[in-house]
Amino acid sequence: MSEAPVLEVSGLVKHFPVARGVLRRKLIGVVRAVEDVTFEIARGETLALVGESGCGKSTTGRLVLRLMNPTSGSIRFKGEEIAGLDKDAMRRMRRHLQIIFQDPYASLNPRMTVGDILSEPLNVHKIGDTASRASRVRELLDVVGLQAEHAARYPHQFSGGQRQRIGIARALAANPDLMVCDEPVSALDVSIQAQIVNLLQNLQQRFGLSYLFIAHDLAVVKHISDRVAVMYLGKLVEIADKKTIYARPLHPYTQALMAAIPKTDPGLRTKREMLQGDVPNPFNPPSGCRFHTRCPHAQARCSAEEPALREAAKGHRVACHFFETLPPPVIIARSGPPQGKFAERLAAFEAAKQRQAAKI
Amino acid sequence: MSTEALDGGLVGSASGAENGWLARNGLLRRLLRDRVAALAAAVLGIIVLAAVFAPWIAPYDPYFTDLTKVMQAPSALHWFGTDNTGRDILSRVLYGTRNTLVLGLVGVIVGGAIGGVLGIFAAYYRRLGGWIMRLVDIMLAFPAILIGLALAAIFGAGLFAVIIALVIATVPDVARVARGAAVSVMGQEFMEAGRAVGVSDSALIWRYLTLNCISTIFVFLTLRFGQIILIGSVLGFLGMGAQPPAAELGMMAAQGRDFLFMAPHIATIPSFAIFVIVLCANLLGDAFRDVLDPRLQT
Repeated sequence: MSEAPVLEVSGLVKHFPVARGVLRRKLIGVVRAVEDVTFEIARGETLALVGESGCGKSTTGRLVLRLMNPTSGSIRFKGEEIAGLDKDAMRRMRRHLQIIFQDPYASLNPRMTVGDILSEPLNVHKIGDTASRASRVRELLDVVGLQAEHAARYPHQFSGGQRQRIGIARALAANPDLMVCDEPVSALDVSIQAQIVNLLQNLQQRFGLSYLFIAHDLAVVKHISDRVAVMYLGKLVEIADKKTIYARPLHPYTQALMAAIPKTDPGLRTKREMLQGDVPNPFNPPSGCRFHTRCPHAQARCSAEEPALREAAKGHRVACHFFETLPPPVIIARSGPPQGKFAERLAAFEAAKQRQAAKI
Repeated sequence: MSTEALDGGLVGSASGAENGWLARNGLLRRLLRDRVAALAAAVLGIIVLAAVFAPWIAPYDPYFTDLTKVMQAPSALHWFGTDNTGRDILSRVLYGTRNTLVLGLVGVIVGGAIGGVLGIFAAYYRRLGGWIMRLVDIMLAFPAILIGLALAAIFGAGLFAVIIALVIATVPDVARVARGAAVSVMGQEFMEAGRAVGVSDSALIWRYLTLNCISTIFVFLTLRFGQIILIGSVLGFLGMGAQPPAAELGMMAAQGRDFLFMAPHIATIPSFAIFVIVLCANLLGDAFRDVLDPRLQT
């Protein structure tokens, strides 16, 4: 892509100080929530940020929007550094960077009507006059699939999916370039999830938005993203385009994640290395490679030396000392031919699939 | 979803026509559906009206002493009887209610405003919060009656000293309640959403934070109103408050105490007036709490 990336993040670090004591507060350490994270997002692109809960992906999203201040590192929006902007300058910048929240029940002010919520960004950034704001609100409601008369209602009069649409409309109101989607569908049930994901994709095509899509549902990520970045304990362990990472994950952690996706063919037997134990405490992360305590391929070097993010192919970076020599991830073996009723049903399903394919 | 949309259309148009957060949920309608609350509201309303229009309603001059009619029992001429200097007790109760209500209202409104602002700021500005709450703790350590006594010693006894004492007694409690409510609102995502949109601090504090915890503070203040009147009356009883010949319910009860066996009505009638006011305020406060609690809303 010839254009400059919409967002360039490099060396982003967030440490939360932990202090103890009543009168004289002493610093007893820091929680290393985000450590040296580097990525970029091109115009119109969706970068998915995945990882276990507590790995720092939501924190990264909030740092990008300066809802939290980074400890160090650089955040460049369309080439302009925003990590050091003061409060007022950042406030003006906010119209270009927006966020969709996870919980549609908590992210709308219950004391404001939907119309007020949607015109808030326009008021704050002094876009248009009263009449044009009202028409913009109607337009936004239409764009996200709600009706104009919904503007006079309060959030508690809507269902979860509708509220998430309102949240999306609010984020769209000031025509942003980048949207951080912080697990926007994980609080919704599956049928609504599909609607919201499709809505997000439509909006991206219509308005040329870039998404930083934070999620832990790999099926949704596979559907919506262009590239995927995998985080573990505050660090980026692998970043690549979607096809590559789903077809050939190189980092052992990514491999474990991919192996955990449910397969649609019950006959398939994969040799799965289940990860043991929990994510270590980010207050006291393991030495060397942070994943070595749970890695099935860990060696002596892993606990001593921290692996750098190295280029494996163009646009595919991995933070592992041994990714070249690791065995390929999964050996797929069929557990013998299917038997009995199951074989019949499978045959019927295959036949239906063939017919469908023939029609198209 | 389709039925919801149909129902919602009616609700939406109705709520669109009304304005303000009180009207939004048909709050008054729901409040008055509670019969006890409706009765309390009616009684309190009558009392307030009587106090406001005391100069026109009162049958006699509350300060006029008639030594030929001392300590008369209630009769057709003097409904509540007369006191030890022959003043009409009904007139004095009407004027006294005026002073007592003003004490309670000023205490609750001024104290509530100061306490509410302190509590909300303590929740919004975390660094300031620790200091504000320590200050509040210090205020909490002094009983209102003690402060009243000290202020009366400094400024001289009178309504002013009592009002200051009542305000100081109200501030720390309200600040604690307001901070508690505001901290829980601060934790909600819409505060962050407002910041992400670029809303300024002042608008965040007012439209996002305060409007979402104001019902909690309001309920607390209604409940507090009765207590404040009681404290004010106690200070009046102890002689800190309004000075004779002015009428104030607590002070009137104190003066009647000396004649409790000869003419019990002199002390009991003002005491009963205090009792009715406090009871109505508390009942109304309870009803407000039930109506405004979002967890009880459908």
